[in-house]
Amino acid sequence: MIRNRRAFITILRVCILIFYLLMVLLPFYWLFITSVKPRMDILTTDIQYWPKNFTFDNYKVLWSSSNFDVFLKNSVLVSIGTGLFTTCFAILGGYAMARYTFKAKTMAVYGLLLTQMIPGVLVMIPTAILFSKVGLMNHLGGLIIIYIVGNIPFCLILMRSFFDRIPVDLEEAALIDGCSKLGALIRIVLPIMLPGIVATFVFAFIGAWNELLCAIMFISSDEFKTIPVGLSMFVQNYDVNWGVMTAGAVMALVPSLIMFAIVQRFVVEGLSDGAVKG
Amino acid sequence: MKRIKSKEPYFMLAPSFLLLCIFLVYPLLSSFLYAFQSYKLTAPNDIAFNGINNFKAVFQDSNFGLILKNSFIWVVLTVAGQFILGFILALALRRPFPGRNFYQAIVFLPWAISSFVVGLTFRWLLNAEYGPVNDLLLKLGIIENKIYFLSDPKLALYTVILTMTWYGIPFFAIMLLAAMQSIPEDLYEAADIDGAGIWSKFWHITFSYIKQTIILTLLLRTIWVFASADLIYIMTAGGPANSSSILSSYMFMKAYSTLDYGQASAIGLFFMALLILFCYLFMKATKFEKAGNF
Repeated sequence: MIRNRRAFITILRVCILIFYLLMVLLPFYWLFITSVKPRMDILTTDIQYWPKNFTFDNYKVLWSSSNFDVFLKNSVLVSIGTGLFTTCFAILGGYAMARYTFKAKTMAVYGLLLTQMIPGVLVMIPTAILFSKVGLMNHLGGLIIIYIVGNIPFCLILMRSFFDRIPVDLEEAALIDGCSKLGALIRIVLPIMLPGIVATFVFAFIGAWNELLCAIMFISSDEFKTIPVGLSMFVQNYDVNWGVMTAGAVMALVPSLIMFAIVQRFVVEGLSDGAVKG
Repeated sequence: MKRIKSKEPYFMLAPSFLLLCIFLVYPLLSSFLYAFQSYKLTAPNDIAFNGINNFKAVFQDSNFGLILKNSFIWVVLTVAGQFILGFILALALRRPFPGRNFYQAIVFLPWAISSFVVGLTFRWLLNAEYGPVNDLLLKLGIIENKIYFLSDPKLALYTVILTMTWYGIPFFAIMLLAAMQSIPEDLYEAADIDGAGIWSKFWHITFSYIKQTIILTLLLRTIWVFASADLIYIMTAGGPANSSSILSSYMFMKAYSTLDYGQASAIGLFFMALLILFCYLFMKATKFEKAGNF
């Protein structure tokens, strides 16, 4: 009886896992094979589920006749910048929240929570006006600042719970051994928290890599466009050349795909190390 | 050095809070101002106080009721779909199996992808003329006529909701899986000894142990989904005839296409009032304050 039930659950689990796998993979499969079909084979009602005439022409067009390399460079710069700054600020702030008692602490926590309720689209307009006053409009630095601001509340809360998980005794022992406070933090605590730090960095990086609306709003010249904006302009300007578009989309996937494949384990590990436990 | 009192924490929090104040709180306060001004970028010299005219114009817009209804449907269906499917996925992933890391990397992938790529891919998949979904459904004899997923006003909103659900499953799966992995295994062993059934183990151990994570992720996700406009912008731009417009996409279009910052700000303020009301009720209902020092 129990054995039957176990077997039933195992089969159910396998079915669920296969179902999700197909559900996730099929759109990507379609995206990819569209990008390697010649234009004629894309715009046909005789739909090919397997490309008959395999070609990389769309990719060639993408690299030769658009600013894709510039978009890529901008996206990398913005995302790494956002990831690094956000992580540093979140480490500092999270440490303060976890290890100190201070008067304004409760207020700070609720303040952070409240910032999550401000819809980004609402502050976009005044931010645009502020940016144009201080010369950050149409500037990669402005974009980085906006992304840091957007990511900090969540990342700081995340970091704080990582610190909460690390026993204070470890630091005290290091202090007794003659470490400075900063030394103890850098040499003892941060290495233990590495998965959490990586998780935070990835969270901010991916957020910046994928963001579209702010980038559309704040960046106007081609030389500062990020990949999502560049590609979305493509839709409007070129009467949708699906082959080249999907080629661009596949290229945009590659960095986040590689990074995600490497670190997703750290992300789950880092999160289960105590974060988001409420 | 246990929980010392000093000025240090203020310095450590300063960079974060300074940025938040300058680039979030200050813009927020100024949007209060803009909401009561006629502020069109097309007429930059005619910026003037105009009382509640922006709000009047927005509320009297013949589409406003529809947009409000759409926003509600959008939030409820999307968050519910993402949560339920994400939960099922997390449960299926809880026990290790060979190749789990590899599998995770693939099924969590949508999380790492830009809304642009997602929107584009689904637009193509669901295309009535050249898309494979219609083709397959026709060939399998499930439908007799093509379905115009994105150009039929009755379907457009639900098509985008479906896409958004697909997109957001990994977020819940990651968060809930992480929380489930911190459940001590001996709780289950003890329950086994007591002869607890699957359902009671799920309810009394899994569910109750990760309840705080559920509450927190549901709250954050609802806010994010409510405020997100990019997938709609890419897939339908709110059309056809506003049938897939929600408050946030409507506001973005007002600001970006018609450049009417005054009205856009008015929509935004209304929008935020709704969010805060929701959060307040949600936190009351779930006794969020008791969830510890979040």
